Amino acid sequence: MSEDKKIKITSDTKPVAGAVDNLEKEFKEHSVAEFFKKNKQMIGLYGKVRTLTMVIHEYVTNSLDACEETGILPNIDVKIDELGDEYYEVTVTDNGPGITIENVGKAFGKLLAGTKFHRLMQSRGQQGIGASGCTMLSQMTTGKASKIITGKEGKKAIALELVIDPRMNEPKISNVKEIEKDFRGTSVQAKFKGCLYRDSDQGALEYLKRTAIANPHAQISFRDPMGQKTVFKRTHNTLPQRPAEIKPHPKGTTVDDVLTYCKSTKGRTVASFLTNDFDRMGAKGIEEIKKRVHFDLNKDPKLLTWEEAEEIVKAFKAISFIAPSTDALRPIGEEQIRKSLQSIVQPEFLTVLTRKPTVYAGGYPFQVEIAIAYGGGSGRKVGDQTSMDIMRFANRVPLLFDNGNCALTKAIQTIDWKRYDIKDPSTAPVTVFVNFISVHIPYTGAGKQAIADEEEVLEEIRLALMQTGRKAGIYIAHKRRESENQQKRLMFYKYIPEVCKALSTITKANEENLKKKMEKMVLEKLKIDEQKEEEDRKKTEKTLANDDNSFITKPKPEKEENKKKLKK
Amino acid sequence: MTEKEKRKSKTTEKVSPKQIADRIKNSAESMVKQIDKLEDPEFKTMQRGKSNVIWDEKKGFLELGEKEVTRSFLNIAHARKFMQTSMIMAKTREYLEHNKTASIREIYYELKHTVADTKENTFEGQVESDPIIVDLEHSVDTIREKLNLHANPKGTLYGDITLLDRMHHNDKFNASKLGRGGWSIMSRVEPEEIEIVDSSAEYLLVCETEAIYERLIEEGYPKENKCILIGIGGQAARGARRLIHRIHNELDLPTIVFTDGDPYGWYIYSVVKQGSMALAAHSEFMSVPEARYVGMTMDDIEEYKLEAVTERMSDGDIKRAKEMLAYPWFQNKEWQAQLKKALDKKVRIEQQALANKRLDFVATHYLPEKIKNKNFLP
Repeated sequence: MSEDKKIKITSDTKPVAGAVDNLEKEFKEHSVAEFFKKNKQMIGLYGKVRTLTMVIHEYVTNSLDACEETGILPNIDVKIDELGDEYYEVTVTDNGPGITIENVGKAFGKLLAGTKFHRLMQSRGQQGIGASGCTMLSQMTTGKASKIITGKEGKKAIALELVIDPRMNEPKISNVKEIEKDFRGTSVQAKFKGCLYRDSDQGALEYLKRTAIANPHAQISFRDPMGQKTVFKRTHNTLPQRPAEIKPHPKGTTVDDVLTYCKSTKGRTVASFLTNDFDRMGAKGIEEIKKRVHFDLNKDPKLLTWEEAEEIVKAFKAISFIAPSTDALRPIGEEQIRKSLQSIVQPEFLTVLTRKPTVYAGGYPFQVEIAIAYGGGSGRKVGDQTSMDIMRFANRVPLLFDNGNCALTKAIQTIDWKRYDIKDPSTAPVTVFVNFISVHIPYTGAGKQAIADEEEVLEEIRLALMQTGRKAGIYIAHKRRESENQQKRLMFYKYIPEVCKALSTITKANEENLKKKMEKMVLEKLKIDEQKEEEDRKKTEKTLANDDNSFITKPKPEKEENKKKLKK
Repeated sequence: MTEKEKRKSKTTEKVSPKQIADRIKNSAESMVKQIDKLEDPEFKTMQRGKSNVIWDEKKGFLELGEKEVTRSFLNIAHARKFMQTSMIMAKTREYLEHNKTASIREIYYELKHTVADTKENTFEGQVESDPIIVDLEHSVDTIREKLNLHANPKGTLYGDITLLDRMHHNDKFNASKLGRGGWSIMSRVEPEEIEIVDSSAEYLLVCETEAIYERLIEEGYPKENKCILIGIGGQAARGARRLIHRIHNELDLPTIVFTDGDPYGWYIYSVVKQGSMALAAHSEFMSVPEARYVGMTMDDIEEYKLEAVTERMSDGDIKRAKEMLAYPWFQNKEWQAQLKKALDKKVRIEQQALANKRLDFVATHYLPEKIKNKNFLP
């Protein structure tokens, strides 16, 4: 698991950890873990179905991060077993680097609430509650320890059991055994009560499906409580580039941020703190700030007061800076999205777009990736009904909850889909994929399931949707014309027998002969239509073939069957 | 012969059922020929409805214009109607060959069935078959009656008029000797079937409601006032309109119309007088441009002090009155005044409201006085 990251965080944030210590002195009983125990809904572990999905999310995210950080193509295996009424056991196994016994506790047994990331970097999770939160939840609901097996390359694997002492926020490890088995990776097994498995939009299967779509370099297999096994195959054999760390941009900085950053700066004056620790800050910027603040910028930054920090932020807002560097963003990539959607959704038509990075709230770089899939397995299927399926992602992580509050959903809802030949999204076999990428995702709440509707974000998604929507519209309009011609054929044919019967009654012309003639006549007329249709198809294909981002998968030869039916 | 001239001859020309049957056959044969050449078969008829109806002020009735429509099978919007047309053609030809007549409801029921391998019916209600019948009338240049089709008969005749029914033992009868109900007007009253022999009447009174028709007979009005009485029971049916036209012209009798005093009643009068938009093609043989209107009028309300027995106009009445204000054949000062007065007061007055005076008031005072004084609307 990602012990490196965790270690880094603790060391990076010593001053803050100190602050936590101070807090602990004041409220002795209130350790971080204790606080979490009482407020588990704050991190999204609420709702019976949601709880199970979130547990899997935390483990799988850790596995993905661990593999990626060590250059391993992830293989992740997820199992859920039903042990009783609202009682489940979750097992997540990866082929990651494994963890040393010294670090297992940190990875699974220490809650890190209260730490604030100093580094700005695109990451799946911004808080480190993850796997430890699951350990906590497991012992809270079942009284049982989490079982962990982990093995590093060339070393014997170890098995152990782990609980968290909620008062001290410390892991307690027991039953450590060496295993005589070649195993590299980490497997965690934990039991949970008061949760529920459902094969629904918000269930684990859907979560893993979407995770696989957004992580084409990962292979994910899943076994549900009924024993049903699903494998989402790896479609891309290269690991994504690791995101780079960047300095915060002045425009996106709050007073609290300044006060946090100044505690750990190496700069000895406020001026050097600002120059060293912020993006796009040069001598000219310092000059401008100097004019706007009422204190000496040679002051020790560690002694900054709230009021002074406020003046700095006010100055940041007034001065213009070069837009932040967008180098740190790591989109999934058009080709990767195409491969995974074609493999998992298997649409008839697909168009993909990765927009150029841009900036919101003046300081945070972000980027949007959109795909629109039509036909085949696209859309959300409930019974016979298919409706538009919206797949939301933030930094590759599927967002399954709080759909209505999310800027991604709002952007999709404000699109006039009729313009793209989607008459009614509630009946369209369409999947819309949106991945929002940023070093700082503006979540609306601690549950981290919805993105706030920042104006720039909304507009950027809308632009991307329109760009891809136009291409999808060309294809859908073509499909519609095709099906209309199909219906025309059927309609002419069905009236032929009555017409022939009537005409032959009047004229004594041979009825069968008339029928054959009329059918031939219809076919000839339709041939002309078909030629037009064919031209139309070629034109559509040409338009879309010239477009590198759109892909048509030939539908099954259903047309031929219908033709045969007609000929009968 | 121009289209119009051809149409003129439709009613008066002597055509045998065999000839009409042959016209249908010719039309079908040309379709078969087209199909044989793998061409889209066509069916031609006159365009109907407001856009092809002309108000001829000189003649005083509505006429059908010259616009033709072609219906072809290989047109998505026409295919179903084309099928229906071919079915109606075959069925009417069968009636003509076997000397059968049927009501337009009967032919609908005879032809209604499920189209093979579909959930669709050949006709979804009489609303689909009725217009096809009119199409066929125009297409083979004839009238419905000569296709051996007829609408449900409606309307009654009473008074001293002798008729001869050539289709029923050459029965000769006087319409004042058939009891209080009078004679039920057939839907087909063409001269070949019903002959007008003679009459001593001095005018023809057409009455909207059957109730007033019965009241007038009970009071002995037709005998007393030497008139023929026709009750049309609401909007006049084809047979009644044709008979009114024939009595007016063949016996040279003035025609006086008596309806409720509301837009609906006035429109009934205008149909008797000038023809309807739906049957504009047949106006010449059904309308009576010389007809006059005796009542009820908005002025009667004050004249006969009927304020207490008026009723409020419905939204439909108001809408109809507004439409009628714009019709070219209502562009005279008398009718504009009536319509505006009605719209202004928003009231209507029924024929039977006269019973407020006395039951026999209509027969003893209202009609005799107004007719004697020629107190008419044009």
